[in-house]
Amino acid sequence: MDEGLCTNPVWPCAMTGACSVLAGFSGLNVLIHGSSGCYYYPRSLLKVPLFSTYLLESEIVFGTVDRLREVVNTLSTSKKPIAVLNTCIPALTGEDLSGAFSGEETLFVDAPGFIGNVEEGAKIAFERLGIETDASREGVNIDGVSLLDLFWRGNLHEAKRILTEMGIPTALCLAKDSYENLRKGAALHTISVNPSYPSEVGTMLGSFLFPDLKETCAKLADTFPNADIDPILEEWKRADEQLFYSSDKYLRKYEPPVVAVCAQESYALFAKSMMERYFGSDVPVTLARNRDAVNIPSKTDLTKITRHIAGCSPDLILASTFEANAYPKAAFLGITPPDRSRVSIAARPIAGIEGGIMFMENVLNTLIDAASLKQKK
Amino acid sequence: MAGCTLTGALSVACFIPGAVTVVHAPKGCAHQTFSMLHAMMNEAETNVVPEILVSGLSDKDVIFGGEDCLRLALDRAAAKDPELIIVVTSCVPETIGDDCLAVCREHAFADRTIYIPTSGFLGGSAKDGENAALIGLSALAKPAEPVPGTVGIIGEKNLESEVEENFAEVSRLLDLLGLTVSVRFCRNAGVSDLRKLGTASCFILRDGRSADAGRELGKSFDRPVIPEFPRGLSGSITFLQETGKAAGVSSEKIEEAIIQETEHQKKMLEKFADLAGREVCLGVEPFEGTLAVAKEALKRLEMTESPAGITVRLPFYLPVGVSGTVKMLHLWRRAILHG
Repeated sequence: MDEGLCTNPVWPCAMTGACSVLAGFSGLNVLIHGSSGCYYYPRSLLKVPLFSTYLLESEIVFGTVDRLREVVNTLSTSKKPIAVLNTCIPALTGEDLSGAFSGEETLFVDAPGFIGNVEEGAKIAFERLGIETDASREGVNIDGVSLLDLFWRGNLHEAKRILTEMGIPTALCLAKDSYENLRKGAALHTISVNPSYPSEVGTMLGSFLFPDLKETCAKLADTFPNADIDPILEEWKRADEQLFYSSDKYLRKYEPPVVAVCAQESYALFAKSMMERYFGSDVPVTLARNRDAVNIPSKTDLTKITRHIAGCSPDLILASTFEANAYPKAAFLGITPPDRSRVSIAARPIAGIEGGIMFMENVLNTLIDAASLKQKK
Repeated sequence: MAGCTLTGALSVACFIPGAVTVVHAPKGCAHQTFSMLHAMMNEAETNVVPEILVSGLSDKDVIFGGEDCLRLALDRAAAKDPELIIVVTSCVPETIGDDCLAVCREHAFADRTIYIPTSGFLGGSAKDGENAALIGLSALAKPAEPVPGTVGIIGEKNLESEVEENFAEVSRLLDLLGLTVSVRFCRNAGVSDLRKLGTASCFILRDGRSADAGRELGKSFDRPVIPEFPRGLSGSITFLQETGKAAGVSSEKIEEAIIQETEHQKKMLEKFADLAGREVCLGVEPFEGTLAVAKEALKRLEMTESPAGITVRLPFYLPVGVSGTVKMLHLWRRAILHG
């Protein structure tokens, strides 16, 4: 029981995770069957149109089917399929909601917040979408694209650029595509820009995060004999040299930074690996947001996270502004939401070659700015 | 502000230094509010993180009952030896039938615990949560003799990005009347400050959103209640009249304050003299009351309203006093001069 007890939880609930997947498909109306409070948060976070039944207390007492049917009927006029996303209270009352649907193409996703975190909800949504692979579909699926990710747009652009460069078509983007394309089925193979958001669709060939990219390219070459991976490998090599050059220059002047990393496991391991490779950094704290993390401990209690961070007195925090505010002594770069330290409008990648370069560029600028500020003081 | 009663209650309860807020709910419910508070605090360049302790109800707890989770959370909160523990709940414990009040009453820290039965959306809206928290927390204060020259502000919107700017504008007007704010109920006021609520000579509500709490507190402490912060230009004059009267300020002092304010408004509007004669279209009213404030500003600046005029958007907030009106006018000028 104690594992549930938590101070300032830093990661959203399962319902929000499921919503982030469903809302990624244009042409699919997402209807949150719950209160205005449950609707408001994903709506403000994902910044995409969502619908809600805005349940009231009286409907919980007398049944929510009529209200659900009313909203489903209204939405049906748009002729778009509907994903009904169930929330905590209707899930708890155990009401049979099947009577709310008739002829519409409706997908019922039962992912109440209390069952867990974002990743659990996303998993349920993917399962319910029932995405089939189709051998006749050309190309590769891009996985790990989540509207909750700070870098989703940049990652998507970068992954498509790399695949195009290699001559491999993009089949389906999970989860940012049209619902129509999704129903055509997925290609047999998949790469990921953020392995902590797995759709489990297709055979995973690997990640496009910078340290993994060469190996993933090799697997792509094995799978697609006509693909030309050499330009990308060449580009990766040049980027690698440039990153060493820039970090060497930094290290001529400064000590390697001690770093604390808190993010989903995939980004956390990426950041750790980059800091070790280019700076020789000590990374004494590497914590995951996702409960299913395999290689690092998962923590979502901000007090506990802060205790870990304070224990190693880092020079740099790679995490969210939750951690940055809780331990303001260190320099900060946001790699997991929320990042309230900056105005972010552009499509910034963290995956791919440009993502690797951009990450390191931001780290260097953050460290140099912090050192300069320290000197001025 | 959208959201359920939990969010509303937390937006009040989390701004009391020295208190620990316990949320009896699944983690995700507390995360929503914590995330919102974090966003607003960053916007206000305040890095103080409120501490929200959540009992973290899981799928197992919703089946077997969550009262033990609440007990553990209270134990954890009490271990910090805070001045006050505030307990709020989401819709989940309400639905599974947890007797939260009994758990709070039986706890060793009961005398320093205030239970606010919010019940998520089952308790109403965020507004209801805010009012429930304000009323619940008023139990900290005892009725007392009013201290002349003091006022209490009730129900500031802690998640409003311009909350401090609005407070500064109200303080400026109060200063003209020779009044000071003795308690901000509840914004960054410690438990000992909140206990002083009963000593304020009158209460000023942020706006009609906290009307329920205003009614209740006005009755409990037998104090006059000013229903809202000043709306725009003439609203500032009315505010001076009403607040001065409610706080027992002499009519001469009130008149003097009005003369000073009228002069101040004139000076501020002179900065926008280049807008005189311009035709604008005000469009739809996004927030009740903004249209009246805008029309008054138009008139004072000798601008005209016309469907063929340049469209200027009305703000999505009610301009408080002169400073709020001036901010609106800057946006208008940008639209008029730069498209």
